[in-house]
Amino acid sequence: MTDANATRPRTRRDAQFDKIRDREAALAGTRQHTARFMSKFLNNRLAVVGFVIFAVICLMSLFAPLIAQHDPMSPNLRAIAKPPSAEHWFGTDKTGRDVFARVLYGGRVSILVGLGSALLSAIIGVIIGVYSGYVGGWLDWIAMRISEIFMSFPQIILVLLLVAILGQSLLNLIVIFTLTGWGGIYRMARARMLSIREEEYVQALRSFGLGPARIAYKHMLPNALGPIMVNITLSTAAFILQEAGLSFLGLGVPLSIPTWGNILNAAQDLRVLEQNWWIWLPVGATISLFVLSVNFIGDGLRDATDPSQQG
Amino acid sequence: MLTYIARRLLTLIPMVIVISFLIYLGLELTPGDAVSHMVPPDARSMMDEERLQALRESLGLGKPFIVRYWIWITGVMQGEFGYSLAGGVPISKIFLDRLPATLELSFAALLISTVLGSILGTISALTRGSLTDQSLTVVGMLGVSIPEFFFGLVAILVFALNLNWFPVGGRILPGYDSFWDRLPHLVMPAMVLSIMMTAGVMRYARSSMLDALSRDFIRTARSKGMPEWRVNILHGFRVALTPVIVLIGFRLPVLIGGSVIIEQVFQWPGIGKEFVSAVRSQDYPLVMMVALFSVLAVLIASLIVDLLTAIIDPRVRLGE
Repeated sequence: MTDANATRPRTRRDAQFDKIRDREAALAGTRQHTARFMSKFLNNRLAVVGFVIFAVICLMSLFAPLIAQHDPMSPNLRAIAKPPSAEHWFGTDKTGRDVFARVLYGGRVSILVGLGSALLSAIIGVIIGVYSGYVGGWLDWIAMRISEIFMSFPQIILVLLLVAILGQSLLNLIVIFTLTGWGGIYRMARARMLSIREEEYVQALRSFGLGPARIAYKHMLPNALGPIMVNITLSTAAFILQEAGLSFLGLGVPLSIPTWGNILNAAQDLRVLEQNWWIWLPVGATISLFVLSVNFIGDGLRDATDPSQQG
Repeated sequence: MLTYIARRLLTLIPMVIVISFLIYLGLELTPGDAVSHMVPPDARSMMDEERLQALRESLGLGKPFIVRYWIWITGVMQGEFGYSLAGGVPISKIFLDRLPATLELSFAALLISTVLGSILGTISALTRGSLTDQSLTVVGMLGVSIPEFFFGLVAILVFALNLNWFPVGGRILPGYDSFWDRLPHLVMPAMVLSIMMTAGVMRYARSSMLDALSRDFIRTARSKGMPEWRVNILHGFRVALTPVIVLIGFRLPVLIGGSVIIEQVFQWPGIGKEFVSAVRSQDYPLVMMVALFSVLAVLIASLIVDLLTAIIDPRVRLGE
């Protein structure tokens, strides 16, 4: 810009006009784009249903202290393994804790683990993938080899291996999921960058003399956001399933913290499985419903953002 | 073709070396060393530091890390996998005992999901947009959303505890070890393990079949007056199946992952169950060895898939 106008001295007014013009252009673009995106997303009935279920479960977990009348941790020895009643909606477990409260509070931790790990691994994967995909060279080579190493382990074996080395805690679990999960999103972001690297606007920016980091993150990344969003959604679903599976084995979040998987852990006891269905069935249904809703949202996002995936 | 195989092997070997090194490094980072596992705590309090040191020396623990890694990896290559900390059982013996059970379960699940998944996917593609197609899509979505162990729990409750059709778990009853005696034990774990993969295969087979059906040779076959079912089966299905078979190779990690949890649910005496109890009891040598072998299995499977693709599709081996 400054080079083109070098003949005439720029005034402050010029700069202001430029700013307003930029803002208008940006706004017009997003509004139109958002409208098209929204209408496509809303047209997909399953995605809307998924979003409603997702929102309801998230809100109920978030406002758990307002909804649940019982404490999820304190045992009540006068109400051990009682079936559902008006007092305890989902009944009580073997130490008399209210299952409904535990499901709500457990949702907080499970969703935190799922969403948190998905976002963290997306941040790492995108930062590395976008830059190395655009620049290439030795950085790209190293990042690719590291991700290959991570991805040649079956996911759960790697997770359990790291659990054995690092020990069991909530924070460790998020770290482990992030470590094992960044590879997928990194590869996707990188592949996307490779495909748009040779487009004309990128060449134009390069010829303007913009630095590689600026081109990669500011100008190319927005064009790769669609698939990245889809990937974050789907990996949230996968991480929630993994947390549930690990906690079911007793190797995820420590058993003292209620999570969806930890509540299900009780069903390893055949007597609980046969006689106290209310301890494990509602939780299992909640996990399934939540993961299903996230998957529906992911599918809706894919259809709305990626024109090549329709039909 | 030979150069292609050689090139693939050349990239595989450094990978295995690096991963085995990382796994050994992980073993090194865990708290305690071999001596602290060998010597019981009460005996340890009686031993002075010098004798402990001598014991470490005699086990080669005083040597530098790289040297110990070299001794370990050459041992592994000669079949010396070390000993489990629980009872000092040789790890190779644990593998020999447990591997058949895991292979049996995995192959059963692989078979079910391949057959069922490709049939359902083909039906879905042929009736594209119909009610059948849409409901199959939703069922597939349910299949990947419901945790496998939850399926397992419900299956145990309904089919084992209430209906009494199948045993609750385990693999062999003492005294009955023919295949037909074992089959009832296998049905539920294999079905449950195959659900997630069936859904994946179905999805893939559907899009692959749709892709095949839009090709020119299908139109040619139709224009020759060939009956519709012959067009679909002989030309469409056969072409669509190739990428599905490739997919199955890549699904091996999913299968291994699933079997770890499913073996626990159904008390199936395989490697996965052993692995979980090893992680629980911090039996590091066993954990590391199972991890190393699962990586090897995945790498070899992907090698085989690559070679198969190269045989089927000449563009792959000439392209690089």
